Order: sequence, then C-alpha cells, then structure tokens
Amino acid sequence: MLKIENLLLKKEDFTLGELSFEVKKNSYFVILGKTGSGKTMLLETVAGLKRNILGKVYLNGIDITTLQPEKRDFGFVYQDFMLFPNMSVGENIKYSSRYKQIKNQKELFVDLIEFLQIKGLLNRDITHLSGGEKQRVALARAIYSKPKLLLLDEPLSAVDPTFKNSIMKLLKGIIKRYDMTIIHVTHNFKEASFLADKIAVMLDGKILQIGRANDVLNRPTSIEVAKFLGFKNIFKGSFFDFKDERRDRYFSVDPNRILFSYKKNDKEFCYECRIDSILDITDHYKVFAKVKNREIFAKITKNMFDKLELEEGKDCLMCIDSKDVEII
Amino acid sequence: MKDRWFLSLFMFLGSIIVLFLTIPLIKLFMSVGITTMGKTILDATVYNSIFLTLRVALYAVLFVCITGIPLAYLIVRSDFFGKSFIESLLDIPVMVPHTAAGIALLVAFSSGYVGDILNFFHLGFIDTTTGVMSAMMFLSAPFLINGAKEGFRKVDEKYEYVARTLGASKIDAFFTIVLPMAKSDIINGALMMWSRALGEFGAVVIIAYHPMVAPVLIYDRFNNFGLKFSAPVAADMIIISVLIFLTIRVVNNRLR
Repeated sequence: MLKIENLLLKKEDFTLGELSFEVKKNSYFVILGKTGSGKTMLLETVAGLKRNILGKVYLNGIDITTLQPEKRDFGFVYQDFMLFPNMSVGENIKYSSRYKQIKNQKELFVDLIEFLQIKGLLNRDITHLSGGEKQRVALARAIYSKPKLLLLDEPLSAVDPTFKNSIMKLLKGIIKRYDMTIIHVTHNFKEASFLADKIAVMLDGKILQIGRANDVLNRPTSIEVAKFLGFKNIFKGSFFDFKDERRDRYFSVDPNRILFSYKKNDKEFCYECRIDSILDITDHYKVFAKVKNREIFAKITKNMFDKLELEEGKDCLMCIDSKDVEII
Repeated sequence: MKDRWFLSLFMFLGSIIVLFLTIPLIKLFMSVGITTMGKTILDATVYNSIFLTLRVALYAVLFVCITGIPLAYLIVRSDFFGKSFIESLLDIPVMVPHTAAGIALLVAFSSGYVGDILNFFHLGFIDTTTGVMSAMMFLSAPFLINGAKEGFRKVDEKYEYVARTLGASKIDAFFTIVLPMAKSDIINGALMMWSRALGEFGAVVIIAYHPMVAPVLIYDRFNNFGLKFSAPVAADMIIISVLIFLTIRVVNNRLR
C-alpha cells in the first residue's frame, strides 16, 4: 500500500534516512525508537508536511512525493493530540467535513462516538478533557476524515497508565472496523509488542531492522538494536571460546538464566568469576560479576542467593547453557 | 518580618508610579467638571475632531491588519533572507522622534511617484486624512505587528499540520485555526496600536494641521485660548478613548 523509497531529509544537524520500507494494506506497522530518533519527522514526511525531501513516497503504486498533505487522505494523531481549542469536541471531530466529502457521515459519526465512548463529551470544551478523553477525541477526528492511512505519533504517551490497555485494544480494533492501515510510532516495547504486525526499529534517523513483531523483539540483528531492546550481557563469540564461524558473531546472555555455583555442574559453559556488587530488589537480587575482565549482570532469586551465600568480592563459577545464549 | 518589609517597600515604590500616572487625569477631570465636559462635547468642532481622530486611527489599524498580520505570520512561520533585518526595521518607528517621522513621511509621500498615485486617486497627502492616517500608522504599526507575532508564536505549528491532514489547505488552516487561536493577542495589539494612534501629535502636526485631529485641536486651543479652553477637549478625548478601550478589552477577555 505505502512504499517509501530512499527517503532522505536533512533538518539542521539531523539527517533522516535513507529509508526504504513498505507498509501493507490493513496492517499495523509500528516504528519503534528512542526519543529524538526522527520518528515524528518520518511520520510528518509521510504525511507530506515536510518539504524538500529526497526519495519517493508511493501510495498504491502512485507517486505522491509532491502531493499536498490535504490531498493525501492520511490521518494524523499527535502525542499531545492538538485538538483545536477554538472548537467544541463535536466540532473538532467533524472538522474534516468542511473540506471533504465523507460518505455516510451520520452513521460514521454515531458509530465512532459509540466505539470510542465519547458520547458524553460532544458539547464539552476540549480544555476540560482528561488525557484519555482527548486521545479518543483525537482518534475520532482522524478516523472521521476516512483516511487511507492513519499515522499515530506516540498516541499513548500522554494517557494515564490505567487507560492505556483499553485504548490499545481500541487501536487494534480500528483496522478491521474502519478498513484502515496504521503506522504508529512509539518508544514503548509493550505497545509495540501488543499492537504491531510488523516493527521497524529506528535509531538516529535510520531504520536498523524491520520484520514481524516477534522476530524483531526476540531476535535483534545488530548490537545497536539488541542494546536498544534491552538485551543484556552482549559478548563476542570469542568470549565463549567458540572456534568456528560463531567466533566473530555477537551473543546475548539472558540475566535470568545465569547460575552461580562453587563447583562445575551440568551447564555447558562455566567460567570463574568474582562478585563485584549486589543490589537487593524487592523479589530478587541483581548481581554484577567480573568474568574474563568483562562485567556480567545476573538476576537471581532470593532463595538461591541465600543458599549460595554470595558476597561482594567472593570468587565462584558463572554457568550457562547454550540455549540461553541468543545469537545477534 | 523581613518578607513584610520587602513587600511594604515594593508597595510604596509601586504606589508612587500609580499616583504619578493617575493624578494628572483625576486632576484634569476634577478641574474641568462634568458639566463643562458635556457642553464641550456638544461643540461641533470638538465632536467632529474627536470622531475624525477615532475614525482615522481605526482606518490605520484596519490597514495594518490587512498588511501587517500576513507579515507577522510570515516572520513567525518562515525563514527567509533578510528576516532579522525586516524585524529590526519594524521596530525603528518606535525609537524615532515623532516630528522626525513626520518630516520623513512628508519627504517620502508628498511628492514623487507615491505623491502622484495618491493625487491620482484624489487622496492627497498634505492636510488630508490620508496624511493623518499615514502619520498614525507609521508610528503605531509595530504594536499590532508585534502583537500578532506574539499570538502566532503561541500557536503550535502542529495544529496547522493536523488541520491540513484533515483536508484544509494552508489558507483554510490559517483562517479556521491559527487566526482564531491568535485572536486575543492580535486584538490586544490592535488596541495598543489604535490607542497609540489616537494620541499621535508630533508627526500629524507636520503633515496635516487640518483636518484637525483631537491632539492638534487641544494644542491649537491651548496656544490660542489657553488652558481653560483646551482642558475640556482633553478630558472628553481621554474619557471617550478609555471607554472604547475598556469595552473592547472586556469583550476580548470574555471571548477568550
């Protein structure tokens, strides 16, 4: 449906791109990245709000790179909602009908206010709405314009955590109910994992990995993505004394799978280590140890900790199985 | 204890300037009296002059609304060559002595091409309302333009972006979203410009002694007949200006 080809945009000292990716019709595409990685800029570029770009943007095979935003039929919801303060909730939702022919306006409006549960808000001043209410009104306004593509910029970041789950369910339901395609940018892994069919990881203006949500979140293909996704204990293959082609690859060790002991056990890899520091967390201990002059981080249960009587400065063995080592 | 001393000192210093600003006005109204003020306003020369002043100042404001608001929007939203220079240029009239501004306007617009164009449309310049309006506008336009700039700066550009994705063109977004949101600052700027224009004397008197606007009439009466005849005109002018100013401000605040 949407195809981005070699997109490049420079703004002061920040460069977005080059980016190339495709978004399939009726899919939920999440762009996951840190704050300041250029996610919002990318959405604004897709919407036609940023000019002087290099590269091409295609919609259903048609080049729309130079098409004005009002002609693209793309809905946009910002993280701070941008509800027009000079209009009531109802006027905000119906704003697009001033400029667009919207089929079955009345039925759509009734359906939207029921779906997003905003019936009681229609005559309210937007300044008196909560974050969650503003969010639903902003969504209703964007959907009411019947966009071909809905662009969501961190739509849940200003919403009270208690409402996040219900809004995520609403977001997920939009695609089928309104026959839409969604691009959603966020820095939140939980959102991405719940909502996405496909995820693109974006860092410093570049997309480093694209794939099915499960694949991207569990199998990062680069150190940068692994670090960003929170993978811990990243080591080169030589750390594990691999002699084959794995020697130059990178691996991540799950902190929950590390076992400390004082004698060799049935685990595949066991290395001598010295406990550096211990942090007491509510239901577990965080243990930082030195192995081959590298720091390794492990989480161990309170029971295991008491059994081992670990102390800072103590020497022991750190053991892991190869199944607990993820290839990056 | 120290806090109380600090607040008392500030209250004392603040009250000095409040008294300085209000005593002349109160004294003026008290010395003239309501009856004389009433009689004076019924004098055709006086009410024609005050009405002319209000009307021409309003024309000046409307002209700057049409030309200055688009300029303010461009300055806030676009980056273009010479932007800083234009911004500095706009503040110059506030610094220039008013009589010098009158001379500059006279040199620029009373003859040459501009003078010919004004004469072609029977507008003229010297001793005309066009000249009066130019003098008022030259010295007070920055108030409105800066007010509009302030208003536009407060409107996040993302509002326009959203409006455009909803089908509005750039001009639609300007009129339906940006202008209503910046309205309050623009009205305040317009009020400041209008009140500044009402009091313009130095530049006006160089360009047009006649038709006589209120500040010139007050000066003329003071020069020819003394304080007794100029004070009631001054009091009437002040009271009418203040009433209009307050009404617009109250309405503007209600609309916010």
